[in-house]
Amino acid sequence: MSPLLLQGVASGIVTGCVYALIALSLVIVYKSSDVINFAGGEMVMLGGYLGMFALLWLGLPYILIFPFAALVIFVIGALFDRVVLTRVVGRAVPGQSILVAMIIGTVGLSYVLKGAVRVIPYTEEVRRLPPFSSGAPIFIGPVVLQHQDIAIVVAAVAIMAALWAFFSFTLIGKALRATSQNPRAAALVGIPVRLMSMTAWGLAAALAGVAGILLAPKLLITPDMGVIVILALAAAIIGGFVSLPGCVAGGIVLGVVQNLIGLYVSSRAISLAPFLVIMIVLLLRPQGLFAGKAVAKKV
Amino acid sequence: MYGAPPLSRLALLAPLLIAGFVLPLLLPQYFLYLGNFLMMFAVLALGLDLLLGWAGQFAFAHIAFFGIGTYATALLQIRLGVPFVIGMPLAALLAGLIGLAIGFPATRLRTVYLALATFAFAEAAQWVFNAWDKVTGGPDGLRIAAPSIFGYRVGTDPTAFPVLAIILALMIVATMYLTTSKLGRAMCAIRESEHVASASGIDVRATKAWAFAISAMYAGVAGGMYTLFQSFVNPDTFGFGQIVLLLSMIVVGGLGSIPGALIGVALLGLLPEVMRTTMRGLLIWQELVYGLILIGAVMFMPRGIWGFIAGRRGSR
Repeated sequence: MSPLLLQGVASGIVTGCVYALIALSLVIVYKSSDVINFAGGEMVMLGGYLGMFALLWLGLPYILIFPFAALVIFVIGALFDRVVLTRVVGRAVPGQSILVAMIIGTVGLSYVLKGAVRVIPYTEEVRRLPPFSSGAPIFIGPVVLQHQDIAIVVAAVAIMAALWAFFSFTLIGKALRATSQNPRAAALVGIPVRLMSMTAWGLAAALAGVAGILLAPKLLITPDMGVIVILALAAAIIGGFVSLPGCVAGGIVLGVVQNLIGLYVSSRAISLAPFLVIMIVLLLRPQGLFAGKAVAKKV
Repeated sequence: MYGAPPLSRLALLAPLLIAGFVLPLLLPQYFLYLGNFLMMFAVLALGLDLLLGWAGQFAFAHIAFFGIGTYATALLQIRLGVPFVIGMPLAALLAGLIGLAIGFPATRLRTVYLALATFAFAEAAQWVFNAWDKVTGGPDGLRIAAPSIFGYRVGTDPTAFPVLAIILALMIVATMYLTTSKLGRAMCAIRESEHVASASGIDVRATKAWAFAISAMYAGVAGGMYTLFQSFVNPDTFGFGQIVLLLSMIVVGGLGSIPGALIGVALLGLLPEVMRTTMRGLLIWQELVYGLILIGAVMFMPRGIWGFIAGRRGSR
């Protein structure tokens, strides 16, 4: 393998890890509410800004801006579910797809978040968060890695591991899974279904926010950086859109594929890649690349 | 409601046609531009509402067909000298055919998956508009030649206004006939329940594909309308923001009804203008207010404004 190829794969894995985190956020919401969260990208953006404000204005140490931003965005996500979505679902009109109203609700939230950030005068200029750790780049064979990149991968993997443990071993995690599989049965065994839905939204929002802080040193923070959600959607679809491990694999596949297309086809084609991937995967393997067989969703 | 729409309903269009010919004499150019824009969006919204409100298919590709219609009409005229009256129907047909081609595979997908696949198609189409610069002019855009219709020169806001009013009126009539036709009722049946629809002998896939194709043709017609009053087109016109605006319009106005779509277009189309004039200096709040309106609309008016009004009058 050529060094160029190895380098492309390595940096693809780094960006892929962040895509995976955002994809996880989207899928957790989808599994809980059957809706695509079009405000997911704005939650990422908000995470970046909250991290920056905490660092610059509140003077928090770098490590503490993660829980700070996660907590604030958790509350926003949970409130949105409780205040808006509960009401939208509760007032469902027979014969009319509830999905449309819910999606318009999330689009509304995305405008609100973007608008709220834009109102702060500080955001008129493009900003960049300082890197978590700097230092001489590390050489692994022919591949050069920045400290920053390693920190991103380590943080992303730690978060994924924590999520896995949360969903596998904790009572709340198990209750969330049960609610997603069958809300009525979950309610019958005494799980507070509404609370679970709020938790899922909060958790998903917090994940997106943390991904925003991880991205902030690499990308520029602007109120419009939410468009990154498209890449996360593609990653989630590659993974089948209902599987959390699928998201992780999908994110990394997408990150690597994008880099390889940039290397071997053309840099212009990079932006087309996610959409082609979405269409091809949905039409040929709607269950995702990694699932065994098609699983029909219960009606 | 079955059969042809009653004449009394068709008569409601008379004010639109009269306004189309009278207003260009009265209003300043900026208002006419706004009116043209709203009439074009009204055709787009009627088309999307057929697919989403009547057939219940949640698709995001509408704006791509709008782009195809715009570029096709403009290019037919610039490159081949095809006059507008032939070019626009051809462009609408092309959009419809592509809609059919997308519709058939896409009808295998449901709800979120359909939304995502069509969303990806729309983004890919915008990428093509940008990248195929030999034909579309790429990001630099394309200059549209002022079309003429049977010798009547169009291309400015006052001259285009009556033409757009006529096209909109025709499209509203077409929608009235379509929604009360057998196909229209089949679409409603599919929206309510695909199982029941197919058990009653409706070919679900064919009906969905037709809904896709017809909806795409509306967008193609709107694309033709665009070339009547704009002298320039670039790919930014067909971005994600536009499809969101369009979706918001029909949801806020009320899905599955012609007045609902028109009300939504007028309201959300004029809202930025109203905010620009009343909130001068507070322009920065515009996005926030817009988002709150969307959230409020889905929270408090699940049937949209028209559903709210109709519910009050007890006519539904």
